Amino acid sequence: MRIRFIHTEGFRIAAIFVAIFALAAAALAASVLVIVQREFRDQIVQFANADIAAVKNGYRTEGEAEAREVIEQRMTAEGASDFILLQRDGKRLAGNLKAMPPRTGIFTVPGIRRRHRILGVATYIAPGLYIFSGSDLYPARLAREHIVQFLIWIFAGAVLLAVLGGVFVSRNLLRRTDAIARACRAIMNGNMKTRVPVRGTEDELDRLAQTINAMLDRIAALMENVRQVTNDIAHDLRTPVSHLRHRLEHARLQLSAPADYDKALESAIATSDEILALFAALLRIAQIEGGARRAGFALVELTDLLHQLRDMFGPVADDSGHVLTLTLAQPAAIRGDRELLVQLFSNLIENAIVHTPAGTRIEIGLRVDKDFAIVSVSDDGPGVPEEEHEKLFQPLYRREASRSQPGHGLGLALVNAITDLHSGRIVLRKTVQPGLCVEVAFPLGGDVQAPQAIEVGNL
Amino acid sequence: MKILLVEDDKEIAGHVSHALTSAGHDVDSADDGFEGLSRASSGDYAALILDRMLPRLDGLSLMKQLRADGVKTPILLLTTMAGIDDRVEGLEAGADDYLVKPFAFAELLARVNALGRRSEINGRAAATKLIAADLEMDLIARTVHRAGHAVELQAQEFRLLEYLMRNAGRAVTRAMLLEHVWNLHFDPRTNIVETHMSRLRTKLDRNGAKDLIHTIRGTGYIFRAD
Repeated sequence: MRIRFIHTEGFRIAAIFVAIFALAAAALAASVLVIVQREFRDQIVQFANADIAAVKNGYRTEGEAEAREVIEQRMTAEGASDFILLQRDGKRLAGNLKAMPPRTGIFTVPGIRRRHRILGVATYIAPGLYIFSGSDLYPARLAREHIVQFLIWIFAGAVLLAVLGGVFVSRNLLRRTDAIARACRAIMNGNMKTRVPVRGTEDELDRLAQTINAMLDRIAALMENVRQVTNDIAHDLRTPVSHLRHRLEHARLQLSAPADYDKALESAIATSDEILALFAALLRIAQIEGGARRAGFALVELTDLLHQLRDMFGPVADDSGHVLTLTLAQPAAIRGDRELLVQLFSNLIENAIVHTPAGTRIEIGLRVDKDFAIVSVSDDGPGVPEEEHEKLFQPLYRREASRSQPGHGLGLALVNAITDLHSGRIVLRKTVQPGLCVEVAFPLGGDVQAPQAIEVGNL
Repeated sequence: MKILLVEDDKEIAGHVSHALTSAGHDVDSADDGFEGLSRASSGDYAALILDRMLPRLDGLSLMKQLRADGVKTPILLLTTMAGIDDRVEGLEAGADDYLVKPFAFAELLARVNALGRRSEINGRAAATKLIAADLEMDLIARTVHRAGHAVELQAQEFRLLEYLMRNAGRAVTRAMLLEHVWNLHFDPRTNIVETHMSRLRTKLDRNGAKDLIHTIRGTGYIFRAD
């Protein structure tokens, strides 16, 4: 556990950098060495050539004695080689080296001291008169060793720094990822309120932490929603089931006339139907949200469908004193499930009929805005306060005013589910006068001709 | 009417069988898919009532097998309230009608009766006119006359009357009307059926001597010519 940082991304990256640095340093060191070596060699050869030229010149002008004289001088002169040798037929004439086998060109010979080597130039300055001039390579070797040593120190220092940096960076990263992991574990253990700490540095880990926190907030909201719905269902079910029980108990204990029994049983059946309707609606919503129906999508002519709904609900609205009108700005078709779309619009129209007083005008509208077909159901009834708009679509939410009316509060949740299935969007629009306008926008279906640009309000 | 009931839930099977027998039907029962298949293939039944979930052989496979064997007995498929796709699947597999559990017995009886009627009609040439008492419906011209007077009907009212006349003498439920006349497979909160029915009645009775459409409390409606 103590060397866990070795297995971190930060450490891996540091190691890769060390390797790259090592390669670069090695290349640099190699070129420095080559350049230094060449420089030494060039200088040695240059000194040797100068010696040879001076000796040759002396011999030409004044003969062998002068040549020996020049050599004696050269051995102490500035800019001359360390070693020089003049020999004739294998016998030394002058210089500080022993006689050696005559070999011309640039080469090295063993030095006087151990491990020293002499690089030099050898030639004949006259037939039989052989000269060698060279310098000790030892300083060059020393320089090379110094350079190498120096580079090794630098390299070792750099590696050490890189390793320490890697350890530091990875422990730092590890601390922060550990914090994220700790938060996640706490949440797994049921503490949903835990959040990943954010440093406020806006770096990539901070952004990751913020994203995780946002996700957790969303999950928490959804869980809260589910919890709420479960509570509501339990509550909504308990009421009719206890009514049912009371009625049956009452029938058994208090009633004796067959007609009374009939009435009690009929009301008990009605109550159980209510409970079953709640279950059916919940299952239907769950099934629609499952999305399997999408496979059967086909092109649905909204114009045609809305006419059908108008014909269906027109007389119903008439009887309850409402006025139902249909305004079609232009034809539109969408891809969808006709049966579900009928249910969606039926729900909206029935809401308008059931929840507004007689005399209310209800208008079904269809228009096209860019790539969307927008179906609206609006009324000039008393409307719904804006702060309640969002709640309207929550499952089982029922407005105070409508609690006394039959219904299970799932109508708009179903509308929502069907709209989502069709990739649509619902907007409750504020109307200037009192009233409510529900707009549902769907992406237009493929086979409809492109709609002309039209003047529309913001969706 | 001789009916075969294939249902593995003993309690439901008992209630259904009792309700059908009380209504004057002759009921045979089977409690698994294989037995149901062999009985349905050999027996001469006017209708089959089939549960979708059965041990050994499920309702859909049983139905497909029967239809593949050329058995044309009308089938009413029973299912739990699981899903909307189940209806389509059931009808595609060869069911003639579909009922979601739990159901009212009145609903079941009405649907079984309608199925029996369907088997009577089978093979008969399609009628172009429906006539009952002084009411005459022309299915080609789409006109209706009552005692010689033309009755102007909206398209939906026409379909409603046609469905009632085709099922003359048998009770039809609200759900059956919603399905066949309006193609609605959910229960609307407003009284669509009642509203349209009342308009149709008003129009029909204007020139008629007596009511042809009657309300059956707790069940639905019945069209009776006598």
